[in-house]
Amino acid sequence: MTNVAQEIAVESQHAAEAQAASAPGAGKKRNVVFSLAVAWLVLVVVLVLLGWIFGESLPFLRDPDGINQDALNAGPSWKYPFGNASFGEDVFSQVVEGGRISLFVGFAVTAIGIGLGGGMGLIAGYYRGWVDSLVRLIINVTLSIPALLLVIFIVTIRNQELTTVIFALSLLAIPALARIVRASTLQVADREFVKAAEVLGVKRSKILLREVLPNVMPTLVSFAFLTTGIIIVVEGTLSFLGLSVEPPTLTWGKVIAEGRIKFADTPHMVAMPGLVIFLTVLSLNFVGDQLLKRFDIREASL
Amino acid sequence: MLFILLLIAFAAIVAWIVYSAGPIFALKRFGGALLVLVLVTFGVSAMLSFTTGDESTKQALEELGVSRNAQPCVTALGTGASVENVNECVEDRGLDKNVFAQYADWAKQLVIDRDLGLAFYKNGETLSDTMKQRLPRTAWLFLYSQLTALFLAVPLGIWSAYQAGRGGRGLPKWALPAGVGILLLIGFFSGFRLTSLFAIVIAFAAVYSIFAGGRLADNNTNFLAFALLSIPVFVLGETLRYAFAIERDIYQLTGYQPWSEGIGEHLKSIWLPTLVLGLAATPVYLRLLRADMIQNLQQDFVSVAKAKGMSNSHILLRHVLRPSTVTLITVLGLNIAQLVNGAIVVEFIYDLDGMGSYLIAAFARREFFAVQTIVALVAALFILTNTLIDVLYTAVDPRVKADDER
Repeated sequence: MTNVAQEIAVESQHAAEAQAASAPGAGKKRNVVFSLAVAWLVLVVVLVLLGWIFGESLPFLRDPDGINQDALNAGPSWKYPFGNASFGEDVFSQVVEGGRISLFVGFAVTAIGIGLGGGMGLIAGYYRGWVDSLVRLIINVTLSIPALLLVIFIVTIRNQELTTVIFALSLLAIPALARIVRASTLQVADREFVKAAEVLGVKRSKILLREVLPNVMPTLVSFAFLTTGIIIVVEGTLSFLGLSVEPPTLTWGKVIAEGRIKFADTPHMVAMPGLVIFLTVLSLNFVGDQLLKRFDIREASL
Repeated sequence: MLFILLLIAFAAIVAWIVYSAGPIFALKRFGGALLVLVLVTFGVSAMLSFTTGDESTKQALEELGVSRNAQPCVTALGTGASVENVNECVEDRGLDKNVFAQYADWAKQLVIDRDLGLAFYKNGETLSDTMKQRLPRTAWLFLYSQLTALFLAVPLGIWSAYQAGRGGRGLPKWALPAGVGILLLIGFFSGFRLTSLFAIVIAFAAVYSIFAGGRLADNNTNFLAFALLSIPVFVLGETLRYAFAIERDIYQLTGYQPWSEGIGEHLKSIWLPTLVLGLAATPVYLRLLRADMIQNLQQDFVSVAKAKGMSNSHILLRHVLRPSTVTLITVLGLNIAQLVNGAIVVEFIYDLDGMGSYLIAAFARREFFAVQTIVALVAALFILTNTLIDVLYTAVDPRVKADDER
């Protein structure tokens, strides 16, 4: 089974979006939203990193497990911007601490996916032959099990540790990125400058690294953003279902899972982390999408 | 009966494909699909051989007088299990055999004996009984959510693509934030709930976009779809559960009602999960259809139709919509995986006892034999649907076949 049809679908969508985006008057507004998205991403990453390094010595952070008798299940206030949990724990600090696992998993899995999946896609798309068939088979086999099912399956048969979660999510990211990079490599390998280099007798490995890779890079970078967003969502779902890393470690999904138990009392425990996940994923998607459009325009004007 | 009908339909499609695209091509595609299916199920089987735990567990089990590999059985049977029971279970599942023998046993039981095995080992409930009870719920959920998604996405996609190339009414840009601000102020001071305020803002933005038309409307629709795409299903599901089932009493979490209880009761028991799954699938279809429509609207045949004096709605619905739906159908097939993911989450959130929540329970009890069967069934459904769609697509559009040879 090949998914050529889907690749065509993706391509045609990008082409149409590029056409739509090149209409006048669209550029300026997009820049504002784009910088907002980047600003939000930077803010989230910096906050989580600061919380990781300095811990509770920061003025706005408290012990995420600290019990506070005066503010049981309290809603958002100036002192506790995200409200309090059922023992008065500060939800904001919980979210900042939970971001460590959620963001780390997102970035680590994307890095692994780019390294392995991108490499697989490049080699398969450029060298073709049996390598290509093998990679295509691997992609089709892995992608024919629904993502969440596969991840839950691996996490339950192994153990609920960080390495297992990263391993399981990598199994999603690698074939997905490999397929996209392969499709992109096929396009680039058809271009004239690659043919010219081949005629000139440049070594194939050199062509792959010097000619093909730099031209595949834009697509790879944009899809890296989109993949990070997807992985953060899948990890959130996993910890929402109670299947991610073991209990004392906090993640975004786990805060939501705790809030939904006494939903009528603590709706803010679902709303606030949910909003954070939503904005982060939205920003990642937006940045990836915009990068894709920009690169496409440049390609089209060549 | 239904099975036979499906088989006849399948045979008819295969015959048509063999007729239109050639037997070698059909054989290649279906052979490839079969290979993928075998590899998937074997991969699952092979991964299950990791389930037997670490070395210390194995040693502890050996000291108890049971097999070293008995860990899944111990979990499935619970703490009250006797040594004989565990040994019987190990024998039954072939846990001491190697991977290939285990896979062969499993495949033989499934394909030749037509036996799906047990759903829960402890009480001896068979999987076919469980599926008979739970599968309709998930199936209805899938069907309704897809219908909801298409019902939302197709008109919106057409409308959005149509507006993308138009001038619009030129409403002032500040009207949107100003209107939203005024509504928020009114709502805030008359003590509306937060979820109502949110709904009001969305509704106002929708009305404004519909009224404004033009590129602005297209942009707004697109952005809404984009935002919807970025909301994780569990956040969306929990938010709507809070809004409709906890804060208000519109949706009752009383559990699923079958068709035999009456259509009203049936729909009342399932509409909110359906809405969540449908909303999660809508932006995918909407964006795809819109992009395809925009591309097709720039084709020459549209200008010809326009020059002949055809009405806009006729051009949109008859000439442009049809070529644009081909990709949509492809993605509809690919979206089965997305649906299964969504069903697991949605059934967990709304306590709907379908296959998704069974899967979670089965995982928790380490019922891997049943899980393996279900994963295989889901993968088979996914591969079969997509191969059929892929091949049909090729039969409809020969360019794909030529492309595939690259």
